[in-house]
Amino acid sequence: MPKLLRVLMWIFVALSGALAIATIAIHRGEQINAMWLVVAAVCTYAIGYRFYSKFISAKVLALDVQRATPAERLENGRDFVPTNKWVVFGHHFAAIAGPGPLVGPVLAAQFGYLPGTLWILAGAVFGGCVQDFVILLFSVRRDGKSLTEIAREEIGRVGGWVAYVSVISIIVILLGVCALVVVNALKSSPWGTFTIAMTIPIALLMGVYLRRIRPGRVLETSVLGFILVMLAIWGGQWASQTPTVAHWFTLTAPTLAIVIIVYGFAASALPVWLLLAPRDYLSTFVKLGTIGLLAVGIIVLHPTLHMPALTRFVDGSGPVFAGNVFPFAFITIACGAISGFHSLIASGTTPKLIRNEIETRMVGYGAMLAESMVAIMATIAACVLQPGIYFAINSPAGIVGSAPEAAATTISNWGFPVVAADMHALAQAVGEQTLYNRTGGAPAFAVGMAHIFSNSLGGQALMAIWYHFAIMFEALFILTVLDAGTRVGRFMVQDALGHIWKPLGRTSWYPSILATSALIVGAWGYFLWQGVKDPLGGINSLWPLFGIANQLLAIVAFCVATTIIVKMGKARYATVTLTPLVWLVAVTFTAAWHKIFDPNIRIGFLSHARMLAASRGSARLIFNDRLDAAVTGILISMIALILIESAITWIQVVAGNREARIHEAPFVATQFAVEQ
Amino acid sequence: MTTKAAITTPVEQRSARFKGALQLLRATLAEIFDESAYQRFLTRSELNSSRASYAMFVKEQEIRKARQPKCC
Repeated sequence: MPKLLRVLMWIFVALSGALAIATIAIHRGEQINAMWLVVAAVCTYAIGYRFYSKFISAKVLALDVQRATPAERLENGRDFVPTNKWVVFGHHFAAIAGPGPLVGPVLAAQFGYLPGTLWILAGAVFGGCVQDFVILLFSVRRDGKSLTEIAREEIGRVGGWVAYVSVISIIVILLGVCALVVVNALKSSPWGTFTIAMTIPIALLMGVYLRRIRPGRVLETSVLGFILVMLAIWGGQWASQTPTVAHWFTLTAPTLAIVIIVYGFAASALPVWLLLAPRDYLSTFVKLGTIGLLAVGIIVLHPTLHMPALTRFVDGSGPVFAGNVFPFAFITIACGAISGFHSLIASGTTPKLIRNEIETRMVGYGAMLAESMVAIMATIAACVLQPGIYFAINSPAGIVGSAPEAAATTISNWGFPVVAADMHALAQAVGEQTLYNRTGGAPAFAVGMAHIFSNSLGGQALMAIWYHFAIMFEALFILTVLDAGTRVGRFMVQDALGHIWKPLGRTSWYPSILATSALIVGAWGYFLWQGVKDPLGGINSLWPLFGIANQLLAIVAFCVATTIIVKMGKARYATVTLTPLVWLVAVTFTAAWHKIFDPNIRIGFLSHARMLAASRGSARLIFNDRLDAAVTGILISMIALILIESAITWIQVVAGNREARIHEAPFVATQFAVEQ
Repeated sequence: MTTKAAITTPVEQRSARFKGALQLLRATLAEIFDESAYQRFLTRSELNSSRASYAMFVKEQEIRKARQPKCC
């Protein structure tokens, strides 16, 4: 393409993006079309990728086309395999895209569509994509080492230790919160519970089919599993309308929590091939298909957003979770903007597949842009709902009451009209008994998605099927994270305990498997139980805790990245990682301070505990508040340690008082380039 | 010298591109769903696909797969 045409094209993209962002930012009191969000996102991502990521590749990281990657040097056909960049892109995206980018933006929509959208766009382009890109490259240059290993080598022992504890903590909190989202989506829902219960025998059947009948035919097995899941959704309607069956699958939140805890323990102890692997395949199959379908649905139907740009709840009085737009919008949306968890994936399997380090830009930066787009779609799904309906679904009974009329009156008094009869009709349309107090984000996302699809595919008649498809999709997603996370946590604990007593480190020794599984399941199970028993629905206290933990892991990743950049002699470009690092420190430390010490009892753990103690409230709730405060405090203190250690390293290296030794694998020229 | 690209028609070129895209999609799905990993295992071990060889592959994969975190 001629240069002039290219320049004109990029000017057009920039102007279109600016117009779209101005439209979503300036409009007040009028409804806007969802396509403005899509155009703003696509143009922002295109410019971020074309210019910012190219600048980072060329100036900061100096990607070297001549340098052999570990996939080439250490190729063994098992872990290290040079792979086509598009294949690695798909593989990496499938690993980083989880339920987070769907749930976080739905919860943050209580502030209106504007704060979440701006944060998703800016956070991804300047933060999340940069983190994934640089950590992927640094892992590639270190033979595919993990973030904790790189932290130990480049920062020091404290850095490595803090990274390790952060990873375990975030896994435990993440699993507890994810399980709570499933509980809140399935409580008193025989249709949803039946469908999800059926996915367990379906996964077992897939495991046996894959192992005994058609060995290695994973795609074929996944298609078969998908058909069975669709039948299970259809069967769920029958189950919900048959009183004797419905009775068995109408479960309270505490009962569901116990079932999920028992399931988590079983999934951790059972062989991988029997439950975990087939469920993972099925979940990935449904995930990729649904994300694609939702993208097509939004583009083709381009629905109108009913949520205002900003709501009155930016002042911190929101019913979904308490706290001002700063810092809470920025920890509520983690995945989709910046997610520390991605640094574990970027330093896991992906670096071992990269064929040429030039491709880390497309895989690391590009896949995160795709995940950010998923978060924008979730924002749209939440904001196409009438605000009154959105708040009726997402507000806990402790805030709006459990009686439909009382809840509708309270929400209408906030300025978001909703009628109890309309809520009842909506619940009937989606095949539920009620949609009030369905906190956690998943039901609101499901209603939004069903609303979008029911305007074209099948009309209102299929609304209930679409709703339960979305619930199944999210619950399947989350339960897969639960299976895999419990196992990963178990292995990490076994690795650590193996240093104390060797047999505990043996991953095939059953007493150790059972003990460490119980330890991990007990830890996240406690957080789940705490959320279930919380009169405010649990999400109010636990989702911010998860957001803080996730963003703290991103701080660890940026500390590692900045240290390496400084040691590479590129301190003048360190702002690329230092800027998101400073932002995250400001956000997480402020949020943590509020969560521990804020005098507002809906925000501060300690003030809530004091209020309960003064009114002779439940001793367990008081203990939970103090535990949450302690966990937040410990996490923040550890991150402060790694920040201090990193800052000392940067100063010493820049001042010339410390050798700037980096621990990269030695340069080896690529044979691929030579052949070319 | 006449090259192959010069004598192919636009329709053939579009068809080739489409086929290429489909092959890439198939390869991506095969990688995501571990089918490629199984093929590599068979090549490396000089085995044919069977229950026994798939069981060996699964055993080899067990630790690797179980240590992979799934993102939130």
